[in-house]
Amino acid sequence: MDWQALILSLELAAVTLLVLLPGGLWLGRWLAYTHVAGKSWIEAIVVLPLVLPPTVLGYYLLVSMGAASPIGAWVQQSFGIQLTFTFLGLVVASVVFNIPFLVQPVQRAFEAIPRQLSEAAAVSGLSAWQTFWRVELPLAWPGVLSACVLTFVHTLGEFGVVLMVGGSIPGETKTIAISIYDRVQSFDLTGANQMALLLLVFSLLAVGASFFASARLTVRR
Amino acid sequence: MNDGTAPNPCGALSVELEQTLPMPLQGALRCEAGELLALVGPSGAGKTSLMRVLSGLMRPQRGRVVVGDEVWCDTTQGIFVPPQQRHVGLVFQNYALMPHLDALGNVSLSLLHLPRTERLTQARHWLNHVGLTEELHTRRPAALSGGQQQRVAVARALAREPKLLLLDEPFSAVDQMNRQGLYRLLADLLRELAIPIVLVTHDLNEASMLADRLVVMDAGQVLQQGSPENIHNAPRNARVADLVGIRNRFEGVWLGPADVAGQGLLRWVGAGETGTAAPVLTVRDKGKVPPGQAVHWIIPSDAIFLVEARGQGSPTDFEAAVNEARHLGDITLVTLTLPAVPGARLVLTVSGARRQGLAAGARLGVRLDSSRVHVMPLLPLKAAVHDDSATMRVCALQTPHSK
Repeated sequence: MDWQALILSLELAAVTLLVLLPGGLWLGRWLAYTHVAGKSWIEAIVVLPLVLPPTVLGYYLLVSMGAASPIGAWVQQSFGIQLTFTFLGLVVASVVFNIPFLVQPVQRAFEAIPRQLSEAAAVSGLSAWQTFWRVELPLAWPGVLSACVLTFVHTLGEFGVVLMVGGSIPGETKTIAISIYDRVQSFDLTGANQMALLLLVFSLLAVGASFFASARLTVRR
Repeated sequence: MNDGTAPNPCGALSVELEQTLPMPLQGALRCEAGELLALVGPSGAGKTSLMRVLSGLMRPQRGRVVVGDEVWCDTTQGIFVPPQQRHVGLVFQNYALMPHLDALGNVSLSLLHLPRTERLTQARHWLNHVGLTEELHTRRPAALSGGQQQRVAVARALAREPKLLLLDEPFSAVDQMNRQGLYRLLADLLRELAIPIVLVTHDLNEASMLADRLVVMDAGQVLQQGSPENIHNAPRNARVADLVGIRNRFEGVWLGPADVAGQGLLRWVGAGETGTAAPVLTVRDKGKVPPGQAVHWIIPSDAIFLVEARGQGSPTDFEAAVNEARHLGDITLVTLTLPAVPGARLVLTVSGARRQGLAAGARLGVRLDSSRVHVMPLLPLKAAVHDDSATMRVCALQTPHSK
C-alpha cells in the first residue's frame, strides 16, 4: 500500500474542490439563469474536458504550462514557480479537468429552482445576496453536494492528465492511480489490488452516500 | 404623457403605461387607497405583466407608476425603484412559497430587517391574523392545503407592510368551500388596510362581487374601467361586453331621435335581415350615434321579463319560444328565440315559481325594459383591440365610475 500516494491524492482532491467550488458555483448559477448569446458555446467549452481524451487535455496543459510557453514562462518569472511536474501544476490541471463535473450538476440544480421563488424573494425585500443564501442555495444544495462529491472522487481517480502534466514524482505528483499503474508495470499485483480495491470501495461509498443525502435533502414541493 | 405629476393623496395608485415590446401594454388606471380594483380579461390580456410592472419585476418601455407620494417608476425621468424597495405585497398565482421553509420561515422572509426574536413574533402575529392555527406554523408548504398555503402567502405579503397589495388570481387553486373563507379574509383586509388592492381574476362573478372598480384588459390594452355595475350596464364596445360576459348582445341600426326628447329609435336587426321588417325599440339617446349607423346593443338579463302573453300592441313585448332550459340547482338558465328577430337569442336566469313549465318548445311572452338598453358603436370584434391607442386611453380615463 502506497500511503504517500493515497495522501497526495486526497490532498489534491481537497485542494481542487476548494479552488473550483466558488467559481464553479458562480458559473453554474450564471449558466442556469443567463440568456446571453452564445450560451450553447460556453456550455460546450465547459463540457469539453469531459469528452476529450485525458491525454489530449493533458498534452495541451503540459504545453501551455511548460517553461517554453508564455503562460509557463510568466508564472516562472513572476512567482518563481514551475507548473509542470509539480503539485501546483497538478492542481491547475485537475481544476480544469473537473470543471464539467462541478459546473454541470450545479447548473442543473439552479435551473430546477422556479424563477418565481427568486421573484417572490425580491418582492419580499431580499437582496440578490440574501436570495442566494436563503432561497437558492438551500434549494440547490443536494445538487451542489453531489457535484462536490463527484469532483472529489473523480480527482482521486484521475490518471491520464496527471501522468502528462505531473509525471510520477513520489510525494509531489505520484497519485494513487499512478501508483497502481506503476505496481502493475512492475508485476506487483497484490499491491495494485489493495489500492485498486480501496479506491473502488471509497468511490462507491462516497457516491452512494451523496445520492442518499441528496434524496434526503431534496425538499418535497 | 402625464398630467398626474401631483402626488396622490392618501396612498392612491396611479399607473400610465405605453409599451409595445416585448409585449404590448397600454393604458392608464387608478385605484384609491382602501379600494379593490379587479383586473379582468382573457389569458394573454397582459394582466400578469401589469402586475409585474407594479411590483417592479418588469421595467416598462414607457410609463409611470405612483403610489401615494412615492414615484416607483417614471421612464421620462429615468426613475425605477427596484422591488426590494417598493413595499409591495404580492400574492402569486401559485403562491411561490419557499418549499424548504415552514410557514413561519416564509413569512419571516419579509421581516429580515428585524432581529430574530422580533421577526418570529411578527411572523406569528401575521399568520394568526390570516387565520392559520398555531400547529400549522411549523409546517412546510407541501404539508399544507391549497387554502392554507394561500393564507401563508397573504401573511407574507402583509408582513411586508405593503403600500400596495397585488393578488394574482389568488383563488384559482382553491376549492369553492375555502374560497368563501378567503373572500371574507379579503373583505376584512380591505377594511383595515386602507391601501390600494389590485386583484387579477378571470372569474367575473368574483370580480363583480369583490371589486369597487373593474378594469377590463384585452391584448395588452386597458379597454375600460369603472364600477362593475357601470361596466355591466354600459360597456364601451362589443369586445368589452363579451369580456365581461354579457350574453344578450345584439346588432341593430340606429334610426335617430324619437319624438320624445332624450329617446331614440333602434331597429333590432336579426341574422340575414335587411332590416325593414325588424322591430323598432325606443331607447335612451345619448346623442353620440349618427342616424343610419349600424350598432351593437345590449340589455342586462335582469331587464328581461317573462310574461304570460304578449301585451297587445306593446312595442317592448315579443313572442318567444323556449329554445333550451337548463336547470342548475336553484336557478334555470333559459335561452329564448324570437320569431320577430331571426337568429336572436335571449339568455336569462329564472328562479322561484316562474321556473315551472319552462321546457324546450314552450311558448311565452317576453318584455324588455327598453330604458336599460345600451347602444355601442359597431366595431369588428377583432379590430376593437387595434384601435388608436391614444384615443383608447383617453376614453378609458373618461369613463365615469360610481365613486
